[in-house]
Amino acid sequence: MAAPLTLLLIVAVTIRAVLFRSSLAELIPERVEVVSPLNAWKRVVEGLALLDLGVSPYAGDVFHETPLIIYFFHFVSDYAEIVFMMADALTAVALYLAVKDYNKTVFRKQKYALEAERYPLDCLELIRTPKEMYYIPLKVAMFYLLNPFTILSCVAKSTCGLNNAVIALFILCTVKGSSLMSAIFLALATYQSIYPLTLFAPALLYLLQRLYIPVNWQRSSFWLFTTQYTFMYLGSLCVMVCLSFFLLSSWDFLSSVYGFILSVPDLTPNIGLFWYFFAEMFEHFRLFFICVFQINVFFYTIPLSIKLKEHPIFLIFMQIAIISIFKSYPTVGDIALYMAFLPAWNHLYRFLRNIFLVSVVLLACSTLFPVLWHLWIYAGSANSNFYYAITLLFNVAQILLVSDYFYAYLRREHHLTHGLYLKRKDGSEATLVLK
Amino acid sequence: MASCCSLKVLTLFSLFIVPGAVESNNIEAKAGQFFSSGHTNNWAVLVCTSRFWFNYRHVANTLSVYRSVKRLGIPDSHIVLMLADDMACNHRNPKPATVFSHKNMELNVYGDDVEVDYRGYEVTVENFLRVLTGRLPPSTPRSKRLLSDDHSNILIYLTGHGGNGFLKFQDSEEISNVELADAFEQMWTKRRYNELLFIIDTCQGASMYERFYSPNLMALASSQVGEDSLSHQPDLAIGVHLMDRYTFYLLEFLEDIHPASTANMNDLFKVCPKSQCVSTPGHRTDLFLRDPGNVLITDFFGSVRKVEITMETINLTAPMVHLAVERPVSELKTESQSYVDQLPVAEIIHQKPKQRDWHPPDGFILGLWTLILLVFFKTYGAKHLKHIF
Repeated sequence: MAAPLTLLLIVAVTIRAVLFRSSLAELIPERVEVVSPLNAWKRVVEGLALLDLGVSPYAGDVFHETPLIIYFFHFVSDYAEIVFMMADALTAVALYLAVKDYNKTVFRKQKYALEAERYPLDCLELIRTPKEMYYIPLKVAMFYLLNPFTILSCVAKSTCGLNNAVIALFILCTVKGSSLMSAIFLALATYQSIYPLTLFAPALLYLLQRLYIPVNWQRSSFWLFTTQYTFMYLGSLCVMVCLSFFLLSSWDFLSSVYGFILSVPDLTPNIGLFWYFFAEMFEHFRLFFICVFQINVFFYTIPLSIKLKEHPIFLIFMQIAIISIFKSYPTVGDIALYMAFLPAWNHLYRFLRNIFLVSVVLLACSTLFPVLWHLWIYAGSANSNFYYAITLLFNVAQILLVSDYFYAYLRREHHLTHGLYLKRKDGSEATLVLK
Repeated sequence: MASCCSLKVLTLFSLFIVPGAVESNNIEAKAGQFFSSGHTNNWAVLVCTSRFWFNYRHVANTLSVYRSVKRLGIPDSHIVLMLADDMACNHRNPKPATVFSHKNMELNVYGDDVEVDYRGYEVTVENFLRVLTGRLPPSTPRSKRLLSDDHSNILIYLTGHGGNGFLKFQDSEEISNVELADAFEQMWTKRRYNELLFIIDTCQGASMYERFYSPNLMALASSQVGEDSLSHQPDLAIGVHLMDRYTFYLLEFLEDIHPASTANMNDLFKVCPKSQCVSTPGHRTDLFLRDPGNVLITDFFGSVRKVEITMETINLTAPMVHLAVERPVSELKTESQSYVDQLPVAEIIHQKPKQRDWHPPDGFILGLWTLILLVFFKTYGAKHLKHIF
């Protein structure tokens, strides 16, 4: 499948190159839906310029990238367009390989289950065949590369593309089973923005599954592997943080990067939920609500991992979706990453209940964002409530999408154990409800 | 001009020689006093800086000083009157075309012959400073210019809302005491005044003359720093306060002055004590070269023609020498004046040498690439090492 993938890459690169050369290249980096104070290209250039003038880039509220990004862009800032196109291509190829490997694992597990006759006889139509799963990796790569959100994010040269590449490489390494590389990439992703910390649990679960170590509190092998993985992760994180200290010989970056992400001082409107709320918040309650909002991101990890401990990759998908909805400065690039996974769950189509609503709302909100922004900021005939309403609606649609897929997945699992046509005790037809 | 006239007059009357050494001495002393002040013409710049109906009293203040100054002899051509708002023709004025300074409408200071030079929105900080320094565009009419020379005594009266170090113009901008001091220094350097009397009736008015550093300036203010200047009396028919206290009592004082009066500045300093004004008026005379006791009120408030009718001959050489001696002293003073070094100009012009490029420290690069290589070889096995070595 190398040839279709190469063709896809060429098409994607062409689209991005064309957009880079058009007049949209000045317009898109200004849009708040595509760039945030954390990953705007303008700020990277500003930070590097400050460094050239002999001032720390973290002085003042301009630059919120990590020192490794400074090091990276110090050399390649002239070729930024190529770098971001290559990052997108790298993400797509990593997702392609990861999903291919994952499909093999799924198929193998399914084969064992079939041979053990664990599936009831009437749900054979739910069994996945290699034929239908053949094109899924290509579709995943296609969904990522040709997604308008990704293209916008690339043309805006937002470093979200780099973050996505690191997360995609982490997923690839996890699926391939290399725990050291997985820990290193996860540490890199956490180092960039704190939220991928929640991906630690699914990665651990997947690696345990791969090594056939059951998730049992009493088993020593479980604890051995967990401590190994934790040490690798924390060790690489420490190494990265200490190495960043040596770049600028100061610890400024901790408050500028992590303090900024966690305490949300900048309330520029974006597609997230934080800005409006905190713009009208009294100072007295601000700390409390910051804690509430940030805990909300990390809160779903434990319950979801308990429920989905057999299905870590789906858990990764859900976690990435939760991160992009509830993080402090989301952009459309974050959304593009979890949308890339949707072809992997094609088989859930028959159980999804809200496809029409979700897709229509997402489309409508995406078109309404620039309209209401223009009305608010330029025409002056709307106010921030309009824009926040669309933000809320967009996030509600995303939450509905994620919960719909969750329901469909769990329902399919239930059917696989209990049969497709469910009956109540008295024999009448029953259906499943997600409570 | 005035000195030539007075000389002509004196030589005319010197034909009528009256014997009497005592009288001639008296006359000579009086003649000596003619040139003691050194000024030959008088100018007045009267500025009201606030607009809106409830600031009626500031316009009334300015107009009452205008009235006194005109009554004592300064012609309209030598008065620059700047009023920021038109109270006489304001919609809310129950008695149009009048501005009263005493309640029960006793004294209308507006009258028929008020010539306002800068009216309404023309009263800005820029215009005020341009009038003072003379930097006006060539199209400005004479009535809007302060055409003073180095023999002019200028009276400057400011009223409005002020604070510690600033005076508010038109509710939108302000002039600071530093700017005012610099404007006066420019006037001194350009020889635009002989002596200058600065009166200000605002809250914390004393802060406005704190920064003066040019010679021959005398300043009076209605209140000290930290005090508010209060208004005098409201008129219930008009509905606003008519005057501020300091200017009210100043006006009462000036009503007693006539062109020949010999009241001096020390009497002016006693105007409006704390019992009447509630605030403490202040004055500053350290930059003034003459003793305030020798300075007549009419040296600033009036344009007095120095006419002394005598039947005797007067020997004018002595006072002239006296005058000539005085001039070099003031010349000497100018050399020692310099602009206050308010801004460290050297620091502003000097720029740090621009660091051309920033390089990451070598230790960092070394550490980073060592780690990357270590991870690479750990993952892919040490067998690749043999390709290198």
